[in-house]
Amino acid sequence: MKKTDIGVCAAMYAVCAFFFYMTLQLPEAAQIYPLCVIALLAALTTLHVFNMIRGAIREGVTSGLEDFKDFLPSQFFILFAMIITYLILMPWLGFYLASVLFMSACLIFLRVKIWQGVLAEIVILALVYFAFSVFLEVRLPEGTLFY
Amino acid sequence: MTETLLLMLQGFASALYPVNILAMIAGVTIGIVIGCLPGLSAAMGVALLLPLTFSMEASTGMIMLGAIYCGAIFGGSISAILIHTPGTPASAATAIEGYQMTLKGQAGKALGTACIASFFGGLLSCISLYFFAPILGQLAMKFGSPEYFWLSIFGLTIIAGVSSKSMVKGLMSGALGLLLSTIGMDPMQGVKRFMFGQSSLYEGINVTCALIGLFSMSQALILAEAKIKQRARATKFNDKMLLSKQELKEIAPTIGRSWIIGNLIGILPGAGASIACFMGYNTARQFSKHKELFGHGSYEGVAGSEAANNAVTGGSLIPMLTLGIPGESVTAVLMGGLIIQGLTPGPNLFVGETAKMTYTFFAGFVLIQFFMLGIGLLGCRGFAQIARLSDAILIPSVTILCVVGSFAIHQNFVDVVIMLIFGVIGWLSRKFGLNNAAIVLALILGPIGEKGLRRSLLLSGGDPRILFSTPVCWVLIALCILGILSPVLMDRMTAKAEKDSE
Repeated sequence: MKKTDIGVCAAMYAVCAFFFYMTLQLPEAAQIYPLCVIALLAALTTLHVFNMIRGAIREGVTSGLEDFKDFLPSQFFILFAMIITYLILMPWLGFYLASVLFMSACLIFLRVKIWQGVLAEIVILALVYFAFSVFLEVRLPEGTLFY
Repeated sequence: MTETLLLMLQGFASALYPVNILAMIAGVTIGIVIGCLPGLSAAMGVALLLPLTFSMEASTGMIMLGAIYCGAIFGGSISAILIHTPGTPASAATAIEGYQMTLKGQAGKALGTACIASFFGGLLSCISLYFFAPILGQLAMKFGSPEYFWLSIFGLTIIAGVSSKSMVKGLMSGALGLLLSTIGMDPMQGVKRFMFGQSSLYEGINVTCALIGLFSMSQALILAEAKIKQRARATKFNDKMLLSKQELKEIAPTIGRSWIIGNLIGILPGAGASIACFMGYNTARQFSKHKELFGHGSYEGVAGSEAANNAVTGGSLIPMLTLGIPGESVTAVLMGGLIIQGLTPGPNLFVGETAKMTYTFFAGFVLIQFFMLGIGLLGCRGFAQIARLSDAILIPSVTILCVVGSFAIHQNFVDVVIMLIFGVIGWLSRKFGLNNAAIVLALILGPIGEKGLRRSLLLSGGDPRILFSTPVCWVLIALCILGILSPVLMDRMTAKAEKDSE
């Protein structure tokens, strides 16, 4: 049994509880199907809990952190923060400017050679421009700051 | 019969339109590039490029997605052979013999063998697509609401059971997907369910956003968490890629056997190209006259593995197109592509005007194999260099494509947020042993199952016995039970195949 599985089960029960609460707000006739699905998820999670207990008795308990042995928290969370910032800035800066800034920040942070980074940015943004802006005629966010 | 032949001929005539030819060339090239990049998968590639097909005709869009699929499965062999890193799990067995051939200075021959075997594997798999799909489609015409309910349950049990390390976790993923599929308007009562005040959730969670998030964005997050490693330089090669007549004759029986194996595995929901490649490889070794070469660079081994994994492609489309049950993640994404085009996978694809689209796609699928052979043989040297592309460049590039792809669906920023949420769900799901394919499948099959169940109960005045009223229902119930028990069988098959290949 992995200790991390306790978190998985807790998260599943939390999802069940949240949807159960939301389902009770619905009219009675519309409650039946969601309740059946919630019951199914709760039953399967409980079955997993039993499997975990059986596994713990038979084979012992491991931390489960072995699945994270290559995980670099600082790199991951900084990159994730960059993605969030990119999405927050996009409505203001527009898609293309925000993408140039996001890609530059990522490539500098990940220590990509400058010429490789510039080439990658040109290729990706040209691909997006021709495929989405020209071919599909998608109006990508234009930004309010420079509009 | 005459009508079917006419549809087949019409299909070829339509597939040869310049726009479809362009879609094939572009799709195969993009697919090979994605396949030869270790860390990117066929499902991810198809999901990422799904939005590009929105404005295309349904048949052209499906041809392009099919070309990406076939190209990616073949492309995995390039990095497997040249840098000993399979581009996709489907090429894991190819790396065993292919890299040994590279070390012996026969990289060109290994790539040529992979190309030719992939071509024949894919081409032969089209035969079963042409013959079995319409038959199964006709059978599915007899399905009513109770049968559709059991069909969706069958699809979920088999993929949830087979594709995960833990069957219960796979089923939990399926149930979670079912719960998420209830978001949106209630199909019978017309009541808003769990929409959190977002009118864009009126029709439920957009499956394309979920697909891009679960398969593509989660992959970018997986790449972002680990140390960026410099990949090995691809070996330069100067030997001939084309095989001699004698060599072609020697690999012909291997390709034939691998075709049957790959095709059967493809049709079976839940099993995929990664199992087929090992089984094809093992069978090639069992029947080889040169067993001593295996493990030291046998081109028969490369042919066995590559023909099998490409034979899966045509086979895996059969349950998806005829019954609406995608057997693995790539076909789940392809099914998303069909739904986006306003088509419902199932028997209706073989009736009336839609049948023309279906047969154009089938014909396109045959022609894709020829383009794969040509582009593969001519472009191997160039693709080999792409395999070195660093993850540091892939992370922001994939992220930008995910953002623009999800935004393009409705030109709505909420879709981008949903995509990112599903990206995080997909990343967590992969880290904690849950199953992304089961979540997506439940999102697709959930509404079908719900409608089937509720319509059946409405017809019977609430009597659940209607769900057990026909022989087809009982067959499907038996298949559901088999689906739950199949992980044990699959585990044994995979373990045996891997053990035999060592």
